[in-house]
Amino acid sequence: MADGELLIRNGVVYDPINGVKGEKKDICIRDGKIVESVTNPKVIDAEGRVVMPGGVDIHSHIAGGKVNSGRLMRPEDGRKGLEAKTSVCRLQSGYSVPNTFATGYRYAKMGYTFVMEAAMPPLAARHTHEEMIDIPILDNAALPLIDNNWMTMEYVKSGDMDLLAAYVAWIIKATKGFGVKIVNPGGTEAWAWGKNCDLNDSVPYFDVTPAEIIKGLAEANEKFEMPHSIHVHTNMLGHPGNFEVTKDTYDLVKGVKPSKDRQVMHTTHTQFHSYGGTNWGDFESKADAIAGYINQNDHATIDIGSIILGDTTTMTADGPMEYSLYQITGRKWTNLDVELETGSGITPFLYSGKSPVNTIQWAIGQELALLVKDPWKIALTTDHPNAGPFIGYPIIISMLMSKKRRDESAEDMHKVIFDRAELPSIDREYDLNEIAIITRGMTAKALGLHEHGKGHLGVGADADVAIYDMSPEERDAGKIQKAFLNTKYTIKAGEIVVKDGEVVATPPGRTIFVTPECDQKLTDEMLVTLKDKFDKYYSVTFNNYPVQDAYLPNPYEIKAPMRG
Amino acid sequence: MQTITLKLKDAVRSGIATVPVEVESLTPDQLFGKSEAELKAVKVWWGNREENTGDLFDVSVEGDAASADEVKIVMEGDLTRVKRIGSGMKAGEIEARGDVDMHCGALMEGGRIVVKGNANCWAGREMRGGELIIEGDAGDNLCAMYRGEMKGMTGGKVTVGGDVGECICQYMAGGEILIKGNANRLAGLNMSGGKITIEGDAELFGPDMTGGEIVMNGKVLEMMPSFKFLETATIDGVEYKKYLGDFAMGEKKAKGTLYVK
Repeated sequence: MADGELLIRNGVVYDPINGVKGEKKDICIRDGKIVESVTNPKVIDAEGRVVMPGGVDIHSHIAGGKVNSGRLMRPEDGRKGLEAKTSVCRLQSGYSVPNTFATGYRYAKMGYTFVMEAAMPPLAARHTHEEMIDIPILDNAALPLIDNNWMTMEYVKSGDMDLLAAYVAWIIKATKGFGVKIVNPGGTEAWAWGKNCDLNDSVPYFDVTPAEIIKGLAEANEKFEMPHSIHVHTNMLGHPGNFEVTKDTYDLVKGVKPSKDRQVMHTTHTQFHSYGGTNWGDFESKADAIAGYINQNDHATIDIGSIILGDTTTMTADGPMEYSLYQITGRKWTNLDVELETGSGITPFLYSGKSPVNTIQWAIGQELALLVKDPWKIALTTDHPNAGPFIGYPIIISMLMSKKRRDESAEDMHKVIFDRAELPSIDREYDLNEIAIITRGMTAKALGLHEHGKGHLGVGADADVAIYDMSPEERDAGKIQKAFLNTKYTIKAGEIVVKDGEVVATPPGRTIFVTPECDQKLTDEMLVTLKDKFDKYYSVTFNNYPVQDAYLPNPYEIKAPMRG
Repeated sequence: MQTITLKLKDAVRSGIATVPVEVESLTPDQLFGKSEAELKAVKVWWGNREENTGDLFDVSVEGDAASADEVKIVMEGDLTRVKRIGSGMKAGEIEARGDVDMHCGALMEGGRIVVKGNANCWAGREMRGGELIIEGDAGDNLCAMYRGEMKGMTGGKVTVGGDVGECICQYMAGGEILIKGNANRLAGLNMSGGKITIEGDAELFGPDMTGGEIVMNGKVLEMMPSFKFLETATIDGVEYKKYLGDFAMGEKKAKGTLYVK
């Protein structure tokens, strides 16, 4: 239950979507929304403290089959985050693969109120939604994987772009998903044949290229007024020299016209895709080339996927990448083929500051954030848990805000950082307004959620507010990190959920889903082919496939009309 | 010297279900310097409830200690459902008079534990240092890593008077252990360092071994097929067949040594 009326008094407000850059301002809340004024509110004194909209995470793996497989295969990770239940919170476990409860509490403590689950295998959509129901506090949504799908590849091959759009609309609706997720297009399917795919390689059997798949899905996405663009994990993740592939991928969709005022492509965990060199020996940062491209072009946005040093669990639909990672570490791994749709792989990984490769990776994520001039084009992520767990965000924030902290950290890293990365020579420091952009404003806009009350504090917005226990003048990196790890208050839909760094209430979050409204005639034509696929190949029947409404107890629908 | 005697109350063991008591908070280093009243107020878990030590144990204290090294804890009563005795202890001594439940001496860093009976599974799990003596038998996973971890025992000394269960010393990386009785299957699984000596019979010891040594003085019931005979070696005047392995881990990683009588 929302706390009726709330007044947050005298905070220093950073609300970049509304152009508020550190102004002393009161925030009024009634019935879970931001309002002009209140009459008899409960007052929160935020005098001298930093106030921001609730954080919006654009890319994180928090729910579903592979997250749960990660938990099952890593009991040792579960041990790391054990916290006994309290009168408010349920038992917490895990560090890189926290349980659902810990996921909700820890994000809320950092002032986040929305998290996008970044990869939902359509066939495992129910499992994903079940876990999202179990994650307290956070509003959430999930991006279904549509790229390595047989239907998609066949339509791209035959050039039936309208039917492709009909299929994309159907699968987003059937999975109660949010948008189009693309992960190593063609490569995950090729992995079923023991291979991988570069951008212009032909996918075995299907005879299409990853480039054609990406372009086709971008066009299909823009046939509807989708809140989000296609969301792409480009080919050749983690391979030395892959920055060329990344740039070529950006170029693919340059001519595609977005259906709304936003990017036409969001590419994710760009740190893993900004590599130079030809092998791990001459591996180097190419963050400058990627940032240069993003600076010169306006059609693509990125998130950084910054490394958090230490042990983590990598998990992705990019099966071949996980297998090569396993070959490097020799640690346990698993992978899965998801019928006609996608695949996945999981393996633990230790990012060490003593390793030259990890050191350069560590530098690249921060370089991207510092070299992209316009913060509206870049988001803070760690591709949780692939580059590190989300509870490392405050570390990245403190690094971006403090050159001193970066210099001190670089001293502890492998000396290769001074030769093959640019980080030590970058002087830029983020201010709080820019931090607010890369953690809320930009992410809400790139997801189109600013139109649905997320990521800002304008009248009518959701009353999701984070109050950090720090002065806007604070320059001490340690204190900044501490403040961003545990808020003074987090308010979710008008209810105080975190107070003084402790979770005090655990209301359920909402699941936001998109309904692309496709022409019925096209849908009917597409369904003939699709039903044939179900009859011949799927392990479930067509009628049992779509996620029922019961899996979204707190739904929020966004309709995406088809463009004429 | 100071002796703290903790006798488990009979009432704790009565009832239909025997709910375990977990006593990792009762180690000499944590109890040193506490008055009897403070001691009785130390929290221990009983199932899912936190209770005062004084409510579950009869507590008596004799003598004084200048440091944790001079503190000896004597545990009495029916200890078969008392878990984590001496878990994480750093100094001093614990004497458990009877059979103890799981995780006795787990994560131990220093000091000494003597169990005057049998120890259930996971005794000495991930032990870092100190000495653990089990006069009776020990269960499975003695001195092993916990599920999923890549390091088991890394230091310290363990002696078991009787037999031991399966998978003892899994992922052992250091320290020494002496088994006076028999060892069940898979002793030293994934072992990379340290030394195991088995006086009794054993089978299939050392699978996936990449380092360390196992000395077998008893009867080999079944040998791992992936070890290579190297030479005859003499230790303390006794002749052993020396084997190298486990070659199932690949040629380069097969750095474990078996000495078989």
